[in-house]
Amino acid sequence: MIRVQQAAFDAGSEQRQLLEGRTDIGAVVSFTGLVRDFNERPDVNALTLEHYPGMTEVALGEIVAEAESRWPLQGVRLIHRVGRLAPGDPIVLVVVASAHRRAAFEACDFIMDYLKTRAPFWKKEHSITGDYWVAERESDHRDASRWESDNDKIP
Amino acid sequence: MSLTHLNQRGEAHMVDVADKAESRREATASGFIQMKPETLALLNEGGLPKGDVLATARIAGIQAAKRTHDLIPLCHALPLSKVAIDFHLDEANCRVEVIATCRLNGRTGVEMEALTAVSVACLTLYDMCKAVDKDMEIGAIHVDAKRGGKSGDYQRQTSVTAAPIVTGEGAAGEVSVGSRCDTDSPCVRVKFLAELRERLGVSELTLPLDTLPSTDVGGLKSALLKRDARFARLGEGRVLCAVNQVMALDATPITNDDEVAFFPPVTGG
Repeated sequence: MIRVQQAAFDAGSEQRQLLEGRTDIGAVVSFTGLVRDFNERPDVNALTLEHYPGMTEVALGEIVAEAESRWPLQGVRLIHRVGRLAPGDPIVLVVVASAHRRAAFEACDFIMDYLKTRAPFWKKEHSITGDYWVAERESDHRDASRWESDNDKIP
Repeated sequence: MSLTHLNQRGEAHMVDVADKAESRREATASGFIQMKPETLALLNEGGLPKGDVLATARIAGIQAAKRTHDLIPLCHALPLSKVAIDFHLDEANCRVEVIATCRLNGRTGVEMEALTAVSVACLTLYDMCKAVDKDMEIGAIHVDAKRGGKSGDYQRQTSVTAAPIVTGEGAAGEVSVGSRCDTDSPCVRVKFLAELRERLGVSELTLPLDTLPSTDVGGLKSALLKRDARFARLGEGRVLCAVNQVMALDATPITNDDEVAFFPPVTGG
């Protein structure tokens, strides 16, 4: 299930819902991304997340479908928030369930790497010294490219 | 699920709460009154003919909460322990938000009291400002949260679909309603997102299809540049493009009523 929303989410309850009534799942990995109070500048007071409605949901859907084609997954929950957020607020949640831990760990990692480089979200940070749009990071592209080589593919 | 204010014969009746246990009840409701920017500025400066608008509306809201049972037929008279009315002047949206919180230790909920307080505070705001603005509109009165009682706690969920965050003119986070092309004259709808929107100072525009030297993304860029030199930015650094929400390149073809978006590299997660 994929959701783009302004409201906060509860990682615990999302994971419980994903697992409810299932006894075939052997591993569940959950990642929550949070707003930091420092990034490109110190003293970040807030950040505004913008997205491209319509395309966002499709892009997230493709990333999850790609993960499901690479690993044997038994459930994925992906939530990304938009709007104005404060330091400490959760931004993104990825919960991946599989029969075995390796697939769950790797698929969760993969989904975050692809999300950061392919899903149409943009962050604007509000700091004491002014507002600015966050620039893309070379390291995010390096992280995402780890999954591109055929050698890295996990059955 | 049944309606507690109807008896088994479907007649309205007041619920007997004598046997219910007392507990701490609290409810918060909110709503807003939309007005002209000038009216909001006057209200803010205290320049309205009837005097201190917010103080008056606050008293009106408190009084209304206490008298809810006079207005709503099957409501009990409640000895409220607290009524608080807050106002938030939202200059971006030209509105005053009214938030009311009611509390008591008792046997029935206080959401009707909170809703009544918000409604009457909004009506009073209208009355206090109507000399300068008759177009004001009261809206979105709803319960935000309630605590205590048999039915348990309730927290209103903000609607997921109500407010997609994208590409307003100006402030980030505004909603933009896409324009449509006129069927008689083929055109392309162009959007600029995030930092690109702010740097270009434009959120969206439509361009007649026949102004494109070639009907592809490259042709669209040329036509935009011809129209205004600032669109040279589309060729600088990394600017990404999507046609009908699918990533595109300069050679991607464009047809009538396509939505083409230009945006900076993504930074979510």
